[in-house]
Amino acid sequence: MKYIGEEILGLPNRQLAAGKGQFVGDVQLDGMLYMAVVRSPYAHARIRGINTKPAEEVPGVQYVMTGKEAFERMNSITESYDTAAMGAKSVKWYALCPERVRFVGEAVAAVVAEDKYNARKAADLIEVDYEELPVAHDPEEAMKPGAPLVEPDWGDNIMVTRDFLRGDPDKAFAEADGTISGVVKAQRYTGAAIEPRGYVADYDPFKDMLTFWASTQNPHPMRVFLAETLGIPETSIRVIQPNVGGGFGLKIPTFQEEPLLAYLARKLARPIKWIEERTENFLVGGHAREERLYYEAAYTKDGRVTGLRAKVIADVGAPSALVGWGMSFVTAYCIPTVYKIENCRVQLFTVVTNKCPWNAYRGYGKEAASFLMDRVMDGVAQATGIDRAEVRLKNFIQPDEFPFPQVSGAMIDSGNYQATLSRVLEMIDYKSFPKMQEEARKQGRFIGLGIGQELTPEGCSMPRSTMLSGYDGCTVRVNPSGQVTVLTGVTSPGSGNETGIAQIVADTLGADIKTIKVLQGDTDTCPYGLGNYSSRSIIMGGAAAQVSATEIREKMFKVASKMLEVAPADLDSEDGKISVKGAPTRFVLFKDVASTVYRDCYGKYACDVEPGLEATRYFRHPNVYHQPEIQGRFSAYPSWPNGVAACIAEVDPETGFIKIIRYCAVHDAGRIVNPLMAQANLHGGIVQGFGGAMYENLVYDEAGQLKTATFMDYTIPTAADVPSLDVEHMETLSPFNPLGCKGVGESGVTGPLGALCSAVENALPHLKLNFNETPLTPNRVWQEIQRAQQRGN
Amino acid sequence: MISQEFEFHAPKQLSEALNLLQRYGDDAKVLAGGMSLVPLMTLGLLQPKVVVSFNHIRELDYVNEDKGMLRIGAMTRHSTIRANPLIGRHCPLLSEAASYVGDVQVRHRGTIGGSVAHADPAADYPPVMLVVGAQVKLQSAKGERVVKMENFLKGLMQTDLLPGELLTEIQIPKLPDGAGSSYQRLHRVEGNFAIVNAAAVIEKGFKSARLGLGGVGETAILVDVTKRLGKGVNDEALRGVSDDAYAASHDAYGDLNGDADYRKAMARIYAQRVTKAAAARMS
Repeated sequence: MKYIGEEILGLPNRQLAAGKGQFVGDVQLDGMLYMAVVRSPYAHARIRGINTKPAEEVPGVQYVMTGKEAFERMNSITESYDTAAMGAKSVKWYALCPERVRFVGEAVAAVVAEDKYNARKAADLIEVDYEELPVAHDPEEAMKPGAPLVEPDWGDNIMVTRDFLRGDPDKAFAEADGTISGVVKAQRYTGAAIEPRGYVADYDPFKDMLTFWASTQNPHPMRVFLAETLGIPETSIRVIQPNVGGGFGLKIPTFQEEPLLAYLARKLARPIKWIEERTENFLVGGHAREERLYYEAAYTKDGRVTGLRAKVIADVGAPSALVGWGMSFVTAYCIPTVYKIENCRVQLFTVVTNKCPWNAYRGYGKEAASFLMDRVMDGVAQATGIDRAEVRLKNFIQPDEFPFPQVSGAMIDSGNYQATLSRVLEMIDYKSFPKMQEEARKQGRFIGLGIGQELTPEGCSMPRSTMLSGYDGCTVRVNPSGQVTVLTGVTSPGSGNETGIAQIVADTLGADIKTIKVLQGDTDTCPYGLGNYSSRSIIMGGAAAQVSATEIREKMFKVASKMLEVAPADLDSEDGKISVKGAPTRFVLFKDVASTVYRDCYGKYACDVEPGLEATRYFRHPNVYHQPEIQGRFSAYPSWPNGVAACIAEVDPETGFIKIIRYCAVHDAGRIVNPLMAQANLHGGIVQGFGGAMYENLVYDEAGQLKTATFMDYTIPTAADVPSLDVEHMETLSPFNPLGCKGVGESGVTGPLGALCSAVENALPHLKLNFNETPLTPNRVWQEIQRAQQRGN
Repeated sequence: MISQEFEFHAPKQLSEALNLLQRYGDDAKVLAGGMSLVPLMTLGLLQPKVVVSFNHIRELDYVNEDKGMLRIGAMTRHSTIRANPLIGRHCPLLSEAASYVGDVQVRHRGTIGGSVAHADPAADYPPVMLVVGAQVKLQSAKGERVVKMENFLKGLMQTDLLPGELLTEIQIPKLPDGAGSSYQRLHRVEGNFAIVNAAAVIEKGFKSARLGLGGVGETAILVDVTKRLGKGVNDEALRGVSDDAYAASHDAYGDLNGDADYRKAMARIYAQRVTKAAAARMS
C-alpha cells in the first residue's frame, strides 16, 4: 500500500485556503428571493391567530406563509430517526407550527421577499396572538405526575425508557466490600459550526425539478425526506451539498426550514435562499448533552467493580423529527463502556421539555457514558486507596475477550485498553508526576493529573431507518484515458474523507493518486448513500470504495493478463502500471488497459470482458445484528474505536481558574488511512471536549428562554485558550472491516470531561473536591473550593 | 442581520460630524470601530435612525505627548494603543489593557474612544483611566469641555455625554517617574469581556496608591489605597487593600460568567495581585 497510512494533504486544501470554496451562502441565482422565519418568543403557547397583513405591505414581499398552509398542503416532516422502531413516542411536526409552539424559536410563519432585509423586516411585523401555556423546564420535574405536558396527547413527558439488566446487581451490592454513589451531570451544549445552516431551493416547473443546495451532511436521505414531506416524487428533487463549514452531526436533517424552503420555491417557482443567523442557530439549530446520570457502584477492596446501577435521565427538549433524541439511548447503550462489570442495570428515561430539540452532536451520547465511568473508576480508586490507573487496568475488558457483548446488546469488536492506557501514562510520565506535583507545590502552584477514558462506537446502523440504516455505496469509474472518477454516497463536512477515499481507491487500483477525482454530495451524480454521521465515511464509504475499486481492478487485470500473457493472479499494480509479480519491467500502463477496454471492446484483449470500467457497489458491516433477542436488545454499532487521555492541569485556588498544562491522548481506531487528517480530527474533537468540560453552556431560564444566544454568552475555546496537544494512534484492527478501520470523527471529544474533573480534584487533594458536573467554570470551581474550606478540608 | 433602515453619514471633517450630531441629537448614533454598535444593531437591540461614522475623520486618530500629558485621539485603534511607544513609556498599563481587548480583529477595528464612551462595566480601559487620572474632551458644535473620568462614567453604559456631544480625546497625565503600575484581568476565553479586571498605580516610595476595579459595579470603581500601603507591601497591607476592594464592590452584579459573590471575591484577589505587581515595578 502506497497511500494508505500516509499523510496525504487534503485534496480541497488549496481551494479552501484560496477562499474559493463554494458554500451555500455563495450560491447566487438569477431572480433569487430570500426567506425569513417568524419564530415563537414563548417556550410553550397556543397560537390564537396570526395577522400577516403588515408584512404583506412591505415593499418586495412576495409571499407570506403560516402554519395553516403547512398543515393543509404539506405532510408532517419525516422522522430521520424512526421512533416506532425504537418504541418511542412521536409527534407530527410541521414545517410551520399550525396551532401550538413548544420551544422558543419554533417556526410559525415565513416571509419571502426580494431581498433579505425586507424579508426580515416584514417577518418582524407579523403579529401572532399567543396564549401562553405552562412550561416543562427541568427534566426531573417534568417526570413527576401533574407536570406541564409538552405533548398533551402523550399523558406524560417520557418519550422512551429502557431497562438493561445483566447478572444480579442486588446480590453484587449485598456482597460488596463497599459501594459508592453519586450523580454525573452534563450541561446542555452544542457544536457551533463556523457556518450556520443554510439552503437554496430552485424549482423548474417545466422539468418538474427542484434543485436544493443544502449545508447538510446527508443529501440522499434529505431528498427522501423532502419528497415525503412535500408529497412529490424523489426523482423530481436534486439535492446538492456544496462545501460545508462544519457539521458535527448538527447538519443532519430534518429541520423545519428544509421542507419549508423547498415548498415555497415550488409554490413561487422562483429560487429562494435562507441562511441561518447565529442567534437562530443557537435557538433552533439543535442542542445536545443535557443529561443526569445517577449511579451506584459496588466494589471489592482490591478495586474490582462487581456491580453497577445507572439511571440516565436525558432532557432531549421538545420532540421533533430530528435524530438527536437517539443520543440518550446511546448513552445507556454504552454503559459500562470499556469495563467488564458482571452485574449491571442501566435504566434510561428520555424526557421531553420545552427547550430546543436535540440534534446529533459529535459524541452522540457516548461521551456521557464514558464520563460516568471515569467518575465511577476515580470514585472506587478514592474509596479503596488504589491508584486510578490501576483500578482501570483491573476492570478493563481484556484484549482476548473480544468480540465482547455488553449489557445493552452492544457487541464490542476489538480493543486493547491496557495498551492505550499504558502508553498514555508513559507519554505524560505518570510515575514522575507525584514528584512534579510536589515541586510545583513548593512554588505555590497546584497541579493535578486526570485520566479520561473514551469509547465511541461508530458506524451507527439502526433498524428500519431511512438515514441510519448503516450501509453505503460508491461508484468507481476508470475513464478512457485512465483517470479515475470516484462518486461517493458519503459526504465530507470539511473532515477530509474525500482524501482518505482517494487513497483507498489509488491503492486498490494501483493508480497514481493525482489521477483520482472524488465527487460527493450530489444526488443526481452520486450513488445512493447515507452521507456523513457516526464517523462512517471511511468505515462504510471507504469500504464501499474499496469493494468497487477491487471489482474494476479484477476486470483490468483480466485484460492486462492477456496483454502480458500471464495469469491475472500473477499481476500487481502500482503507480499507474500493471506489472508481472517479480518482473517489474514486464508491465502495461494502467491507462493503456483502460483505453483498450473502451476503444477496442471487440479486440483480442478486451473481447471477453463487459465494456466499460465502472462499478457501483455497496458495503454492509458484518458486525451488526438487528434481530432483537431478549430485552429487545440489538447491536447497532459495528465499530468500537476508543482512546484515553491524560491531562495535567493547574488550578488557581484563589480564582478557580483552570489552565491545561499538558494534554496527551492515545487513540485506537484501527487502521488509520491518513494520520494527518486523523490528527486534525482528534485536535478538533479534543478542543470541543475542552469546550464541554470548561466553557460551553446553553442556559435556559424557568420560562424556557435561552440566555446564551450569542458568542458573547456562549463561550467557546479559541486557539489562544488551548495548549499544544500530544496525540498518538495505536492500530488494533477491526476484524470486521476490510481495511480494519473503526472511524475517527467523534474521537477526542470525550476524554477532556473525565480527565479535567479528575485533574482538578487531584490538584487540590487536601480539599477532597468532587467534580461530577460540567462545565468547570472558574466560578463553580471557586465555589466548590470555598465550600470545601468551610467544611474544614 | 440589520434589517431596519437608517440614514448613514461618513463625514471627513470633525466640524461636519459635530454639525450632524447637533442636527440629529438623540436620533444619531456614533459609529467608531463598530465593535459594540454593530452587534447591538444586528441583534435588533438598537435601531438608530441615523448613524454617523467617524472612520474617515483622520484628525481623530493620533497619540501625542504634550506638557506631561498624553493626548489620544478618540479614533485611535486598540492595536495602535497596544503598540504605541509613547504610551508604552508613559502609561504602560494602558498598553497592557489594550492587549486584552477582544481579539486581533477587534483590536484592529475597535477604538479607544468608542470603548470608553460605550462604558461597559467590564471593559478594559475604565479601571486604567481612573487610576491614571485620565480625563476626556467632549466636543459639540457649540463648544467643548473636559471631564474627569470618574465624573464621565455615570452608570451602566451611561456617561456624561449629552446629545450632540462627541468624545474626541482622552487625556492621560504621564505616570510620575518611578511609579509602578499593573493591569490584570480574569476572563474565561480569548475575546470575552473580563469577569473582573483591576489596575493599580503606585507612586515611588508609596507616596500614593490607587486601584481601579471593573466588573464589580455599574461602572469601574476607583479606590485610594495609599493609607493601606504606608509601610509598603506586606501581608497586612494586602489584607487591607483586599478589604477596601471588597467594600467598594458592594454593588457587584452577576451574570453567566460570574455571580456577584464571585465577582466580589475576585475583586479582593485582583486588587492584591495588581498591587503586588505594581509595587514590584516601582523603582
